[in-house]
Amino acid sequence: MSDEFVDTVPDEALRLALSRVAGATAAGEGSDMQGLRLDEVVLNMGPQHPSTHGVLRLVVTLDGEMVKDVIPVIGYLHRCKEKLAEKRTYYQYIPIPDRTEYVAGMNCEWGYVMTVEKLAGIQPTRRAEVIRVIMAELNRIASHLVAVGTFTADLAPLGTAMVFYMFRDREQILDLLEAASGARMMFNYFRFGGVRYDLPDGWVEKCRDFLERFPKMVQEYESLVETNAIFLQRCLGKGVISQQDVVDYAITGPNARASGVAHDLRRTRPYSVYPELDFDLCLGRHGDVYDRYKVRIEEMKQSRAIILQCLDMLPKGPVQVGSLKPPYVITPPPGAVYTAQENPRGEYGTYIVSDGSRYPYRLKYRDPCFINLQIFPKLLTGNKIADAVAISGSMDLVLGGIDR
Amino acid sequence: MGIEIGSVRLSLDDLAARVAQEFAGELTDVSIQEPDTIVARLECSKLHPVARRLHDLAEIAYDSLNWIAAVDYRTHFESVYHLYSYATNTYLEVHVEVPRAKAVVETVCDIWPAADWHEREAWDMMGIRYEGHPDLRRILLKDDWIGHPLRKDYVDLAENHPNV
Repeated sequence: MSDEFVDTVPDEALRLALSRVAGATAAGEGSDMQGLRLDEVVLNMGPQHPSTHGVLRLVVTLDGEMVKDVIPVIGYLHRCKEKLAEKRTYYQYIPIPDRTEYVAGMNCEWGYVMTVEKLAGIQPTRRAEVIRVIMAELNRIASHLVAVGTFTADLAPLGTAMVFYMFRDREQILDLLEAASGARMMFNYFRFGGVRYDLPDGWVEKCRDFLERFPKMVQEYESLVETNAIFLQRCLGKGVISQQDVVDYAITGPNARASGVAHDLRRTRPYSVYPELDFDLCLGRHGDVYDRYKVRIEEMKQSRAIILQCLDMLPKGPVQVGSLKPPYVITPPPGAVYTAQENPRGEYGTYIVSDGSRYPYRLKYRDPCFINLQIFPKLLTGNKIADAVAISGSMDLVLGGIDR
Repeated sequence: MGIEIGSVRLSLDDLAARVAQEFAGELTDVSIQEPDTIVARLECSKLHPVARRLHDLAEIAYDSLNWIAAVDYRTHFESVYHLYSYATNTYLEVHVEVPRAKAVVETVCDIWPAADWHEREAWDMMGIRYEGHPDLRRILLKDDWIGHPLRKDYVDLAENHPNV
């Protein structure tokens, strides 16, 4: 890359990568025994690159095929979500969290609504709580289907077969969510003290029908990939995250559980009706790419079990505290609250500071992907570039959440 | 090696008392936020040594940094550190007041690697400078952006982002 280009475009990450290569060469590290220079190449992956699942950009320094250094660059999808909160009332802001981690909108909305409820001291109705769990777990399955599907698409042996199987089945979940909320991805379904609509007639039966068929679908996925020798070779023992890394980098969600850390907010910081539900935490042993894949598959089965229990215990009653009438204003007392929700990708938290007015004074997201991405330089360095793609796919990043 | 969550069983009151005693004169206004969070204030100048000791505490170590938030209270900034202890399965929220005139805080990157991007974000959005940070660049906004948009007195002008 010519120096002129670097000088005209303000690109600090590229400048940094190039300066590190130049520094290493000057220090003599870049030469081999005979004094021949082994050239390192700075490669720009993304922001438009199919394997980055969005607009993640990685400035990768390569020595042949080996990754020597990685500098992640983010912010291409920044839509000022935190600043927007300061200009909207608490109610007006409800649709916005959907658009952070757009693959799991229900979960994100719940995270925000739960924080405001804690701040304002609102207790949702029992029926609403159960419906919320159903929606969140359905969305978790849908989200894991996207995660595993696109991950397998990154690995060449299966081509794009698996991703289409998974998207085909995800459609059925989106149909259910649409029937309940009116939207397929940007739901705007949660309200303070409940949910917007009660379940429509026949919804429960439709949901049961889907869950009946679901184990067969999972079986199909497993039989497709887990007997594939190339798939296994590309996954086993690659991109290991140790338990110490999990602690140091505050990694949460399936990525932490794949390393054997039993951290799941549904258990460690229980909320809603989760304490009454019976489900297992799925833990990996090695923390490699394969474990991260397998944990997600197993979690889908657990989510199914949770939804079935919820459908059995679904109580009668209102889905909303009080009436839902204009002007939809709530004014929480001054103070600051942080609550978090176990999102498909980890701990999705919201920190809200209230000054007693109708608008949040300050809102901050704790996004799991933003935090999980921090380990990338450490995780990818020393791998082959093709493995780096597999590893980054297995981390399940959603850039809408990272950039906010 | 295995990390057990909640292996140390202590009531939140006992834990808060222990933290308050261990850091007497440093962590002030120690209070409890149900169900599992201890909230405390800390003077800006004492941050780094106290953070180091919190990380290395025997038995109840706050070994993980969950997130850092920067808040603009108009008269001053606040840098909020949300720590998590795997052993006790509790959180500690440390509020550090940062003067507006000299918005500089020492970095905690060397203690919790997770602090890296949070500090960059706080610098990007709020303009708090984390001294000693190895790579304090903008993270979400463009490299040539002018100003820090989450400040309450930020005015958005076209000149602030010439290349957008």
